[in-house]
Amino acid sequence: MNGEQLQRLRKGDPELFAELVREHHHSLIALARPLVGPGDAEEVVQNAWLKAHGAIDRFEGRSAVRTWLSRIVLNEAKMLLRQRGREVSFSHWDDSESGEPLADRFTDRGSWKKPPVRWHYDSPDSLLMSDELADCLTRLLHGMPVNQRALFELRDTLGLSFEEICNELGISASNARVLLHRARGQLFELVDHYQETGEC
Amino acid sequence: MLKCREIVRDADRLLAGDLSRPRKMAVRMHLMMCRHCRRYVRYLRALLAAIPFMHGPASDEEVSRVMDHIHDKRGENSDSRG
Repeated sequence: MNGEQLQRLRKGDPELFAELVREHHHSLIALARPLVGPGDAEEVVQNAWLKAHGAIDRFEGRSAVRTWLSRIVLNEAKMLLRQRGREVSFSHWDDSESGEPLADRFTDRGSWKKPPVRWHYDSPDSLLMSDELADCLTRLLHGMPVNQRALFELRDTLGLSFEEICNELGISASNARVLLHRARGQLFELVDHYQETGEC
Repeated sequence: MLKCREIVRDADRLLAGDLSRPRKMAVRMHLMMCRHCRRYVRYLRALLAAIPFMHGPASDEEVSRVMDHIHDKRGENSDSRG
């Protein structure tokens, strides 16, 4: 977003705000889903848009707009959890029971037993061209443990810093790294398998 | 010499520029000699660059629903103040 767009947005340009919604709505729903569950994610994000609209004149553009929106969604999610009497802290999230991703692709000595295949599509743009692959990724994310998915959405989709994620969720940096590594490992495996077989 | 398994574990931090200098050197040495790990890191980098766009844009209907909700709520607030 350039300086002129930011000024227009802060002055309440409705078309520009609608474009913001178009661009970020799905990512914010994806963030809210593991935090509050699929049934409440839409409500959380609707409320977050309302808050964002009310505060847009105070958005200074120091952080990326998606990071700013993510913080609002996080706050709304916590508020809803409090209202429902549910646990707001995520400090209980640990991942000691999940296996290491890609573990079966190495020998006992730690060398590749099944290295990555050659990907037909290996640029960021081309990776998103296949609708089938996009469907596979969506299904994988929906089936992922909520803690891994939340880390993945916050860090990789919405670009929050590790420090901020740890502060917001009340989890340790080492735990956050393990959760993210496991989420990314599953995604990598899926794409690698898809490139080899054309199937999920 | 690091093992391939360790390179996969370190790849996240390598791409984030978050490895200590000695560890980064060790990883780079391994990558010079291992095409499988080079491929892993290259593909992971491409995947991470694609992820922010993965969820795609909202439909006209979804955008309208959000905007209508905002207008309704703002209207309610101004009515209650009015």
